Amino acid sequence: MVDTVHVRAFARFRELFGDALEVRVKVPATVRSVVQEIARMNPDGAHEILDGEGNLRKSVIVLVNRERIPGNGREDYPVHPGDEIALYPPVAGG
Amino acid sequence: MIKVTRDDFDPGEIIEGARQRNVGAVVSFLGIVRDDGIERMDVEAFEEVAEQDLQAIAREAEAKFGVVHVDIIHRVGHLSVGDSIVLIVVGASHRKAGFLACEYIIDRIKEHVPVWKKEYTREGARWVEGGH
Repeated sequence: MVDTVHVRAFARFRELFGDALEVRVKVPATVRSVVQEIARMNPDGAHEILDGEGNLRKSVIVLVNRERIPGNGREDYPVHPGDEIALYPPVAGG
Repeated sequence: MIKVTRDDFDPGEIIEGARQRNVGAVVSFLGIVRDDGIERMDVEAFEEVAEQDLQAIAREAEAKFGVVHVDIIHRVGHLSVGDSIVLIVVGASHRKAGFLACEYIIDRIKEHVPVWKKEYTREGARWVEGGH
């Protein structure tokens, strides 16, 4: 079964992937399956979010439903149909 | 007042607003667009999360340093050299807590709050590197 999650991207990632995209992933989905699908849809920007081994880069910040998902194992964090995933690079405000 | 806004603000008016009977020191930080050979700057935020984070940082500063008043205003949108980017105003009983809280708040903003700057020069545009 396939379902849709909403993805928002900011700053450099917004320019690469668009500010809002619908991503179709197999359920049960995880942060990993969502970012891998984004990379598949956007081969030019894939290296910005995934390293050479296909793992999520440590510098990429991931939020699910506006909660930051920190630490090791965050790629296994479950994502449910209708969830909002946000991806952004290191912040530079102030 | 804690907000992310496209609108300019009057720092003097906001500093005046921090006066209250238990405040003996008002400390402010105003970040402005510096001329580093840039023509303008775009400031982008994940606004809903940024505002939530600024609220949390203000509460942290109150709890850690015992300050009694915190304003944080962060602008987004198109800014020119000399424009205000961010204003922090802290009202405290004594100056030491005010200085510490103000520094704490700007440091936390720079390392945590989802805001980015894109600078435009004659040669082109570049994102300011994060990672504080």
